[in-house]
Amino acid sequence: MNDENIVKIENLIKRYDHAGVIALDGINLEIKKGEFVSIMGPSGSGKSTLLNMIGALDQADEGSIQVSGQNLMEKKDFSFFRSKEIGFIFQLHNLIPNLTASENVQIPMLQTNNSDEEMVKRATELLGSVNLGNRVDQVPTKLSGGERQRIAIARALVNHPSIILADEPTGALDSKMGDIILELLREIHEKENMTLILVTHEEYVAKKADRIISMMDGKITSENCTL
Amino acid sequence: MKFRSLIIKNIFRNKSRSILAIIGIAIGAAAILGLGLVTDSLASSTQQALTAGAADFSVLPSSFGGHGSGGGFGGGSGGGFGGSSAFNGSSGATFVSAGQTIDQSTLNSIQQMPGVETAAGVLRSATELNGTTQPLTLLGIDSQDLSLDDVQITNGSAFTSSNQIILGSTAATGLNKTIGDQLTFDNQTFIVVGIYETGDFMSDRGAILSLSTLQNLTNTTGVSQILVKASNGTSPTSLSSQITQNYTNLTTSTSLSGFNRMNNGIQIIESGSWAITLIALLVAGVMVVATMMKSVSDRTREIGVLKAVGWNKRRILALIIGESMILASIATVIGLIIGVGAVEVLISSHILNGIHIALSLNLVLEAVGVALFLGVVGGIYPAYRASRLAPTEALRYE
Repeated sequence: MNDENIVKIENLIKRYDHAGVIALDGINLEIKKGEFVSIMGPSGSGKSTLLNMIGALDQADEGSIQVSGQNLMEKKDFSFFRSKEIGFIFQLHNLIPNLTASENVQIPMLQTNNSDEEMVKRATELLGSVNLGNRVDQVPTKLSGGERQRIAIARALVNHPSIILADEPTGALDSKMGDIILELLREIHEKENMTLILVTHEEYVAKKADRIISMMDGKITSENCTL
Repeated sequence: MKFRSLIIKNIFRNKSRSILAIIGIAIGAAAILGLGLVTDSLASSTQQALTAGAADFSVLPSSFGGHGSGGGFGGGSGGGFGGSSAFNGSSGATFVSAGQTIDQSTLNSIQQMPGVETAAGVLRSATELNGTTQPLTLLGIDSQDLSLDDVQITNGSAFTSSNQIILGSTAATGLNKTIGDQLTFDNQTFIVVGIYETGDFMSDRGAILSLSTLQNLTNTTGVSQILVKASNGTSPTSLSSQITQNYTNLTTSTSLSGFNRMNNGIQIIESGSWAITLIALLVAGVMVVATMMKSVSDRTREIGVLKAVGWNKRRILALIIGESMILASIATVIGLIIGVGAVEVLISSHILNGIHIALSLNLVLEAVGVALFLGVVGGIYPAYRASRLAPTEALRYE
C-alpha cells in the first residue's frame, strides 16, 4: 500500500427517481492504492451502489468520483476503463456454462489485442494460481461452487486490473469454502499489491480487510481500521 | 479462444432455440428457392412449349386484300397484288390465291436481318381436285420449315420431291386418302407421303407441298407470308417493330399478342410466387427476431457480466448479430437443399408434369442473399437491445 489515492470520492449523490430513493447521500471516501477495504452494511444501505460507481457500471447524479485517475462523472463509455482497470467478482460467479474454465477466464481478454496463444497462456497461469490447474478444460457445471468462484476470481485478474471489486463473493458459499475464497483474495491482494474492495453484510468477512467502511441509508456511518 | 469460437459455441448452447430459428430462416430460403424454381421452370417450360419450333410471328403484306401495282400473282415490289382471285395454273387448273404476295427479294432481305434465326416463305392457295368440285386449300413451304407453321406429321414423313404432298388429317379423312395414295389436281399427280395435324381446323383440311412446286403451279415467285423466328436473346416484339419500320408495305401478324399474353401469364405466376414468398419471409423474419430476442432475454445477466468485464457496445452487437448470421448461414444451406429437393420430389412424383427444372445461379444467390439479410435484420433489434442494456440492471436480472 502507498499513499496515493486510487479512489477519491467527494459528496457523491445517487438518486433513483422512479423509486424516490437516495441510494448514496453525500459519500466522501478515499482509498489508497494497494489497500484492502470492506464496505459493510445491511441490504439497501447503498454499498453495492457505491461499488458500481467505483466500477463505472453506473453514474452518480452529483459530486465527484475519480478512480485510477479517471473522472467517472464524464459522460462517456467506460468499457475500456473497466477492461483495463477493474476486475469484478460477483456473488454468483456468472460464468458462461458451455465454456470451459479457461475460456471463461479469457472472456475479458477478447476485448484486448492479445493473441489466442497469449490468452490461453494467461488463463492457464491464473487457473493454476487459484489451484484449478487440473480443471482448465472443465465446464462450470461440473465444478463445485468454490471452484466456480475461483474461476471468477481468475477472470477478474486476467487483464491485470489495478482494482478488484468483489460484491458478496462468499455470499453463495458455505463458511468453509467462503474462508478459502477470502484467503485466496487476501493472498492475491498481498502478492500483486492490488487494491481490493469487498462488499459484504457479514462482519466476519469484513474483518478480513485492512479497513471497514460501514454504511447505512446511503451514508458512511463509520470507518474502522482492523489492523 | 477466438471471438468466432464464442459465437459458434453460443449457438449450440440452446439447441432447441437455435433449431427453431434455423427452421424459420430455412423456410424462407426454401420458399424463395422452391417457388422461384417452380416459377422460373414454369416460365421456361411454358415458353419452350409455346415457341418450340413455331415462328414467333408472321409477316404479311400490309394492304392485305387490296390491289397492288403488279396485278396477278407474283412479281411486283414487296408484294401488293390483287386480293382473292381465280386464275389458271400452269396446266389450266383454277387456283385461288389467298391474297397479295411478298416478293423473293424482300424474303431474302428479311432472312439476312440481324436477330432473325429463321424466316420461311409460305404461299397459300386453293384448288379443286381433278374431276371434282371438291376444294382443297394448299400451302407451299419448304419441308425443313414445317415446324414453323406448327405442322406435326402424325403419319408418314415430309415431302422430299416435287411430286410428293402431305395431307391434313381432316382432308385425308374427307378424301379417304392415306400414305401412298395419289392425289391429282392441275393435271398433276402427287403421292401422299404424310398426314399432318396443326391443331387448326382450317389448316387440317388442306394439303402441303414444297414452296417451289406451288409457286410453279400458281405461276408466282412471291410468298403470301413470311414466318419469322427470332434468334435467342432477341425480343420478337422489337424484331417485329424493326421489320414494320423497314418495310412500310408489310405488317406483322397477331401471333405477337399471343406472345404477350404468354408473358403476362408468366408475370402473373411470378407475382403470385412473390406474394407467397413474402409471407414465408415474414414468418421466417418473425421467428428469427423472436428467437434472438429470447436468446438475449435469457442471457441478460450474462450480457451484464460481459459489460462489467469491459466489453463495449460494438462487441455485444457483433456477438448477437454474429450468432444470427451463423444461424442464417446454416439455415440457408438447409433451405436451399429443402427448396431444390421439394421441387425435385414434386416433379418426380408427377405433380408438376411437363416442367423442367431451371436452376439458375441468380436464383440461388437471391435465396442466399435474402436469407442472410433476414438473419442480419432479425438479429439487429435484439443486438441493439442487448448493447443498450444498463450493466447494473442486467446484473440484477433474475
